Amino acid sequence: MASENSEINLIIDGKQITTQTGNTILQAAMESGLYIPYLCYYPGMKPYGACRMCVVEVENGRGTPASCTTPVAEGMVVNTDTQQIQDLRKGITELIISEHPHGCLTCHRTDINGANLCGPEDICLRHVSVTDRCVSCPKNERCELKDTTIYVGTGLTTPMTYKYRNLPVLNQDPFYDLDYNLCIVCARCVRACDELRGDNAITLTERSGISLVGPAYGSSLLESGCEFCGSCIDVCPVGALVESDYKWDKAVESTSTTCPQCPVGCQLKLEVNKRGKVIRVIPELEAEANRGQACFKGKFGLDFINKRSRLKSPMIRRDGALEDVSWEEAMSFVADKLNLYKGSGFAALSSSRSTNEEAYILQKFTRSVMNSNNVDHSSNMRPEVTEILGDVLGYQAATNSIWSIEESDCILVVSSNVTEEHNVASVAVKRGSKNGSKLIVIDSREVELTRSAKLWLKPRPGTDSVLLGGILKVIFDESLEDQEFMNARTDNLDNFKNSLWKFDLKKVQEITGVDESDIRTAARYIAESDSTSFIYALDNLNDAQRSESTRSVINLALATGNIGKNNGGLYPLRSGTNDQGSWDVGCVPHLLPGYKNLHDSAARASLEQNWGLNIPEETGLGLKEMFPAIITGDVKAMMIVGNSTNFSNGDLGDVLESVKNLEFLVVQDAFLTDIGMLADVVLPSVTFAEKEGTFTNMERRVQPLKQVLEINNTYAMPDWWIITELAKAMGYDSFNYHCAAQILDEISNNIPFYAGIKYDRLLSKEGILEPAGIPNFPIPSQMIPASGGRNTGIQWPCLDVQHTGVKVLYTNIDDSNKFSMQSLEIVDGTSVTTKEYPLLFVPGRVLHDSDDVKIEVINNKNVIVRDEVLQLNPEDAKRLDIGDFEMIQLESVDEKLTFQARIVKESFVGVVSSTTLFGSLITQLDASEDPDPMGNVPTLKTKAVRVSKQGS
Amino acid sequence: MAETREQHDQSIKDALMKQNAKTVTVLSSLLAIQDSLGYISGRAIDQIASYTGSTLNDVWGVASFYTNFRFSPPGENFVEVCWGPTCHLLGAQGVLDCVLGELGLKEEGDTGDRKVSLKFNTCLGACSQGPLVSVNHKIIGPKLIGDANPKDFQNSVVKIISDLKKG
Repeated sequence: MASENSEINLIIDGKQITTQTGNTILQAAMESGLYIPYLCYYPGMKPYGACRMCVVEVENGRGTPASCTTPVAEGMVVNTDTQQIQDLRKGITELIISEHPHGCLTCHRTDINGANLCGPEDICLRHVSVTDRCVSCPKNERCELKDTTIYVGTGLTTPMTYKYRNLPVLNQDPFYDLDYNLCIVCARCVRACDELRGDNAITLTERSGISLVGPAYGSSLLESGCEFCGSCIDVCPVGALVESDYKWDKAVESTSTTCPQCPVGCQLKLEVNKRGKVIRVIPELEAEANRGQACFKGKFGLDFINKRSRLKSPMIRRDGALEDVSWEEAMSFVADKLNLYKGSGFAALSSSRSTNEEAYILQKFTRSVMNSNNVDHSSNMRPEVTEILGDVLGYQAATNSIWSIEESDCILVVSSNVTEEHNVASVAVKRGSKNGSKLIVIDSREVELTRSAKLWLKPRPGTDSVLLGGILKVIFDESLEDQEFMNARTDNLDNFKNSLWKFDLKKVQEITGVDESDIRTAARYIAESDSTSFIYALDNLNDAQRSESTRSVINLALATGNIGKNNGGLYPLRSGTNDQGSWDVGCVPHLLPGYKNLHDSAARASLEQNWGLNIPEETGLGLKEMFPAIITGDVKAMMIVGNSTNFSNGDLGDVLESVKNLEFLVVQDAFLTDIGMLADVVLPSVTFAEKEGTFTNMERRVQPLKQVLEINNTYAMPDWWIITELAKAMGYDSFNYHCAAQILDEISNNIPFYAGIKYDRLLSKEGILEPAGIPNFPIPSQMIPASGGRNTGIQWPCLDVQHTGVKVLYTNIDDSNKFSMQSLEIVDGTSVTTKEYPLLFVPGRVLHDSDDVKIEVINNKNVIVRDEVLQLNPEDAKRLDIGDFEMIQLESVDEKLTFQARIVKESFVGVVSSTTLFGSLITQLDASEDPDPMGNVPTLKTKAVRVSKQGS
Repeated sequence: MAETREQHDQSIKDALMKQNAKTVTVLSSLLAIQDSLGYISGRAIDQIASYTGSTLNDVWGVASFYTNFRFSPPGENFVEVCWGPTCHLLGAQGVLDCVLGELGLKEEGDTGDRKVSLKFNTCLGACSQGPLVSVNHKIIGPKLIGDANPKDFQNSVVKIISDLKKG
């Protein structure tokens, strides 16, 4: 359409307005700051027209259309505030209110007319019935319906007769309290779940007067495919859907900051009550990273800030027990001790939640003060996914922004549990798929995204790289590659093409177990789409397979010309919150800040000059080498910056056992974790909500952390402060930092692609932050600006303080620097099975499975109870003499589980698989007090097992 | 003997495949299954969702919107009493009370022995013949069975229903 982006002029309430074609009257009005009352409309959702609050008059038009569903037209004259409209609105609010308890509007003691007769300690004088009282609504005083009713001037002095529906208040879902007596059936929640999240876990049931919101056939949210993202709560205009924790608490302040749970880096508004507790988390609607979305971890998993088990003061182990000491004592003790371990006997680990500043200062401390390059971050488990990317393309980072995934024509997700690990990124994938993008999932596990996939290729575990090679082979066999792009921007083509000969499709089919025709379909989808996004975490592969798969994915992107393109690109998924930032600032053993090689003497010299300190040349130990080195005695002292470092997933072996061999261990953490219990010194650090700093998210967006809370009841200090004080105590006065911003300044001076990123800029007006200001008309709670405004961050490379960052990398063609196509190998797909454990166990997590699910209420929370099902191939079953539906036992090195057998022809020989429900994971998370509950929940990792009949 | 799960799945599948509609939609699938099984089971909703490429909750939204779909197996006999405006004016309330009394029910539903399912209907489409009762999809009205007196008609209806109850 030619007119798609053309402008239209119209007049609303006498004001000349210019807007885009396709906007509705309501949107046009809101853009220009005019307010039309609305209840069912929500930014980002399709027009619905349920509540009729937004009716307007269009001159020469018929009737009074709803402005949220009426598109603008040239020369339209709209009146939103005539007498007729006002009367209509009053009638409409009365209709809505007539099904909603409204004591809060009619009670003579409320403050509608400026007179607040009801003090906080007052007892309700029974002006209204108990179900109708303002205090029996959890959204009291923050209700959009009430505000709107008052705004439109529906002067209610006496309560209207209405029928209280007397429905039970549902408070047994893990995180939600649902009171449908308060529901006005605006369907915002249903549409949020469907349109914004792509989950469709709830629907409108029944019709007319008894219509309600709920999952299918009265089942619980746990079964319905609910992700517990809280999106429905965020959009609810009334008190029908609320968080069950701190349900009745009122916020006195709300500050927006960056979520510490995963590399998406959602911007969240943290609401704080008058006692300094974080009571609610509301995702920022206009933040570029998350666009109003959050996930179960961010929305419900941040309560650890309030926990009483927080560490209060530094502790030193004396006579086997940890004793509280003062900071001065602890610092001089640690400084004296560390002075003994300078050199390669010292190693330091930063946490996945360390800010850029902390990661930077820790590596500077380790390198220059401790004279050792043994520094890494604790979530650096899969360096291959980005290192190869950096080698081939230049930057070790995603090429595009998260939300451009939604616009891609094709999305390839390789071995990634996105919904759990990087939840909001999966929203972009699902929304894309819903809008017609072809979603291809390559995974041997059943992850949540397989549900929305157009094509799910299920290779034998460990053969993903071979499958990707097969797809590349088809692309070149059928001449589907983007020749123009390859000629202009790639080299090493011949070697690459030669290496492809190995991937004969028949052989690929034999190795991977994926049908040749499916491989061809996938290749055509990828190559024939205008743009393709490649998402890969490769989290259930071993290192060699991971490297090879990464090469294949990069090759795919280059072969199909999806580099430097708006909606197509590569998205490596790192595991830790600030892995990207930790790499950027050089918190890895072999790289200096800014990805400069440690052995590059010029780079080292210039950094030495900037720091005024020396940097050792000897290569350091990385995360995976540190713990074995402890056992061999090469590492004697260690400093672990915790804040819940995830050592429990087993990838690193028994970390707790190895650290016992250390001569000296310092742990900085907000909680006394398992590893803290073994430490010689524990230094209390603050959580993300109590410090300043920056995180760099998976799309290279540097976003600020703001101090939401004062540091209360504890002597805890930010990690950067602890490290600088320690350096000072050891006699290094150049570690003279008084705030995180100062460290960021040093980072931006040393790293060219951070050059324009300054803390004051991240918090300043420059188009990045909008000033806070609460409008004088009712708006959804998600749109109320947080104090201090909202942030969208800056995507590096940001080369100077005028530069606004780069959304898409590699858009400039550089002839001298062509991307080199990577030669491929067939990597042995045989996995970790042993003689003792001959089968490979492949777990998966699905959202809905209606078979035999029973919900039981334990401790007032819903818990899913069902026989877990294990799928086996008939051949294996026959060999093990296991019948269908028989109870069997599964044993691995570290666990024993009972399952019900299902014999499934489609499953591979030698592979057994199970799926657990997403919902059961949620309840486990809720039960955990750990700040990083994901660490306690089994990851979807393949492992070797044996299976036997129960009892045998 | 009750149907096994596999048989039930198979009959749902058959009903879905056999449906005689120009375009297969959620609604047409629901109708096909209600026609062939007499009700919409939970598994039927799952299967319709995957068959039509929509989601479980979407299907449920449609199914629960229409009052004519039922979600539990029907009784052996199906009785509908019209309480639309015309029938109401012609004395439907008396007929309704008789039927409820005879079946021992307080509102629409199934009798305990699952012999009879009762449903209120807002129009059976033959208002001139009212008050109407439909027994196993056969319409019965005073003029149709020759009862001039409302009392006689009520007695006839009660007799028909007690016959149904006996089997």
